[in-house]
Amino acid sequence: MFRSLSPAIRAALLTLIVGMVCMLLAPYLGWLQKWPASMTLPATEWIGAAVTWLVELIKPLARWGAWLLSYPMGWAAFILIETPYPLVIAAITALGWHLGGPGMALGVLAGLCFVLFSGYWVQGMTTLSLVMVSVPLALFAGLVTGIVAYRMPALRRPIQVMLDVMQTVPTFAYLTPLLLLLGFGPVVGLIASAIYSAPPMARNVLLGLQRVDPEIRDAALMNGANSWQQLILVELPAASRQMLVGMNQSIMAALSMVIIAAVIGGFDDIGWAVLLTMRKADFGNSLIAGMVIVVFAIMIDRLSSRLAEPRGGHSRKVIWGLLGAGAVMAVLAARWLPAASEIDIFAPLAERTNSALGQFTANHGATLNAIRNNAMIYLLLPLRIGLDHAIVPVMWGFGWTSAMALGYFGAAAALAGWLAWRGQILAALMLLTAAGVVKLGIAHLPWPFVLFAAGALGWVASGWRLALTAVTLLGLILIMGLWEPAMLSVYLSGTAVLICTVLGGAIGLLSAVSPAVWRVVRPVCDLLQTVPLFVFLIPVLMFFQIGEFSALLAICAYAIVPMIRYTHQGLSSTPEELVEAALASGANSWAIMTEVRAPYAAPTILLGLNQTILYAFSMLVIAALIGTTDLGQQVYLALGQGDVGLGVAAGAAMAMLAWVADRLVQAFAEEKRAALGL
Amino acid sequence: MIQDRPAPAGAPAISCRGVWQVFGVNARASLDLALGETGGDTAATARLLRQRGLIPAVQDITFDVAEGEVFVIMGLSGSGKSTLIRTIARLIDGTAGEIRIAGEDILTADARRLLALRRDKLGMVFQHFGLFPHMTVAENVAFPLKMQGMGPEQRRARALEVLELVSLKGREDSFPRQLSGGQQQRVGIARSLAVNPDLWFLDEPFSALDPLIRRQLQDEFLSIQADLGKTSVFITHDISEALKIADRIAIMRDGVLVQIGTPDDIVLNPVNDYVREFTRDVPKGRHAHVETIMTLPASLPRMPDDPGLRANMTIDSALAACMSLYQPVPVWGANGEIAGVVKPSDLASALTPDEL
Repeated sequence: MFRSLSPAIRAALLTLIVGMVCMLLAPYLGWLQKWPASMTLPATEWIGAAVTWLVELIKPLARWGAWLLSYPMGWAAFILIETPYPLVIAAITALGWHLGGPGMALGVLAGLCFVLFSGYWVQGMTTLSLVMVSVPLALFAGLVTGIVAYRMPALRRPIQVMLDVMQTVPTFAYLTPLLLLLGFGPVVGLIASAIYSAPPMARNVLLGLQRVDPEIRDAALMNGANSWQQLILVELPAASRQMLVGMNQSIMAALSMVIIAAVIGGFDDIGWAVLLTMRKADFGNSLIAGMVIVVFAIMIDRLSSRLAEPRGGHSRKVIWGLLGAGAVMAVLAARWLPAASEIDIFAPLAERTNSALGQFTANHGATLNAIRNNAMIYLLLPLRIGLDHAIVPVMWGFGWTSAMALGYFGAAAALAGWLAWRGQILAALMLLTAAGVVKLGIAHLPWPFVLFAAGALGWVASGWRLALTAVTLLGLILIMGLWEPAMLSVYLSGTAVLICTVLGGAIGLLSAVSPAVWRVVRPVCDLLQTVPLFVFLIPVLMFFQIGEFSALLAICAYAIVPMIRYTHQGLSSTPEELVEAALASGANSWAIMTEVRAPYAAPTILLGLNQTILYAFSMLVIAALIGTTDLGQQVYLALGQGDVGLGVAAGAAMAMLAWVADRLVQAFAEEKRAALGL
Repeated sequence: MIQDRPAPAGAPAISCRGVWQVFGVNARASLDLALGETGGDTAATARLLRQRGLIPAVQDITFDVAEGEVFVIMGLSGSGKSTLIRTIARLIDGTAGEIRIAGEDILTADARRLLALRRDKLGMVFQHFGLFPHMTVAENVAFPLKMQGMGPEQRRARALEVLELVSLKGREDSFPRQLSGGQQQRVGIARSLAVNPDLWFLDEPFSALDPLIRRQLQDEFLSIQADLGKTSVFITHDISEALKIADRIAIMRDGVLVQIGTPDDIVLNPVNDYVREFTRDVPKGRHAHVETIMTLPASLPRMPDDPGLRANMTIDSALAACMSLYQPVPVWGANGEIAGVVKPSDLASALTPDEL
């Protein structure tokens, strides 16, 4: 009987049974819910000791490197800050002209003028100078790594794993060991951003080289090129388009990380300006500083993505003209124009924003609070600590009684029975499991159940190997003593992913159905993806203050984009032939959507879900700045206390969670693709 | 195993002896083991290798290519023809056997020697052209010269010279993407000829082109070949292309050489059904020549209405000339002497399809 069931149903059934047993035993066996402290390995201390030992070992070398780097950094800052701003603006505008013609030049000019008028010119230029130094480092490291991975197939797999790790480890986790290694100062941000932004370059270099037509490679050999000539004269130039795409991604990552690195403080850059004004609740200014970041991000993104496209020859005369005009203005500036730091045209605007915001919150504070409290009480808390703990008279007006529990599970069982009767056994089992999870709360789930469920998912999606890896990684988090914050991370990101899936899926569906909607949604998505994570915090803080709800909103705002994009992409890329075949069979548009487009789009949508999960995890750490209690918060705390062990361990735990989620979803997507023969 | 007919006079420009190309882990050791177990039988060895998860793409191939000959290797996709030419050019390392180019064993040549050979002696044309997308037409053609160490001005001059040979004068500063497929392959041909190589490898050079362009380039290939007389190894899957340009054709199937012979041989005396199937739709009269079916009697009186058949005429044109005759007709050789006789009825029966 049991054997005759499909693997998915068998796994779901076993998971449900394990869950039920745990739930029944939990009141008597405390260790089911809380991993006993006596069994916890002092992993954080070990890691701390190991990292500290390593840091001490390479400290002299690192400090010497930092000292060396401080020179180009000084020069870059000197050039950008000490050069009269009209000249800087003229030079960057000329670059825009050269890369993209009049439209680009105008855009760049407008953007830079905004930065100048905002009063954050000096801070902005400090940030840019850091990017200017870190990007070449990252590009060089990425290029070398990519080439090595390409040329030595034996190293390819380990290098790819390393790149994965470098990108999943939360950004703050880099900073703690670097702080120890290099001491306070802008060099930490510089190195962190170089490390963080090297992987996209390495990946794209490898991808580009792998995509070079084998015939071109053979042609180079047959024409008598030796292996170096083949690489430098033929393969790298042939891969250049992909490498430029990588360059664009690298530069954006570097900018994002430089801004994040402001949390360690100590130098006056634009990230610090945002942080400082946010802490002072001076949202007018923090909004303006945030917009300066956005302007930089968009400008740099557009400029560097133009690199990958062929250029029409834009007149050189204009470049010289622009530079000349800049020089003339610069000379005049010495006499007439105010210094950059004295310009504060937008100061009144910030004032007015602040007072408007004050008024708004005064008038609508009750509404905002109601929104926040209701979301907390009726959605977030139950998910976090379970119905039985969340439903208390203070909040709900009544308490959780055993009669309610009976009714709750009775209703779930009835619904599940109906589903099973309809033949949807898997759905019935999953519904029961979900009911149990909501009753217990994600943060209070018994660990044997979580481990078993992850293993079962891995087994169904791909097989024993994935199941074993998932259980091992989660087990590691457990014995490291980081289970509680880890489950809080799962709860927060899981809730966000759930919201993003429903909302993003709906928006994606609408966009696929109506091109008009897509025309509006698309630029918003573009913008949301270009904006550095940091900036997302400003608007949610403005309206909802510090707390979990604000964190959730920030995460959702960032993580919803891939869900929308992939859903739209999946649903609208069904081959025309399939749609025509369905039409010819007499399907209406609803049937075409549910019977043809949706199944065909399923693997793509799953990949979108995967991206959404990863995005949510990367935002989790940033969200720690505005009050969360999860792993991200541990990482952030570790940074503040200089606790390398905790920082690295919590960072690694986050990376492991992200890795498990990533592989599980990817395995399901892969299975779906294979089933469709794609 | 198919025995090669002795190659036409002169030392072989390329000589392959028992060449194997096996893909898989430990290919060499597995091949030796399998050969030992089967006592050297090719088919049994290949079977054994496949059972063990290896791919014997080229099996025990032996042939010679003479100086100045156009040697066509023909077969369907997956027959191993592309693998064979790549093994000969040593773009991949052969598993076993011996390949000599002008007497020199190329499978054991070290990297430096190989580089020198490629820089001076070998030229290759690729199916999808293999043009470097970031270089202009002239830079592409000059690339092998650059590898030789030639100066910029000299190599540009030489590139223009070769481009003129393939009628691409005036396009030297275009990029490959700005050219049509036919033009791109002309660039490929020009590049392969830039160093004036001794050996010319062409890997399905015209397969990616439209039929009209293909025919045009075939004619150009023939005219270039008539001028330069390169020793060429030409890969194709198109029997009419093979018959049109080959001095000799080698037909491959599943990694094995099935038949080697002149176009006439292949058309008129296919060794088995596989080859017969290939040539089934070939208009034989257009490809086979009178000399392959004429006989050499003791004597023959001159005829008053001698239609003037020549030995190198195609059967079609010979038949057209003596359609109304019933007597044996004399065939004239290139030297102006009678080379043999042919009965018009034999000409006609050579054209009837083989019964299957």
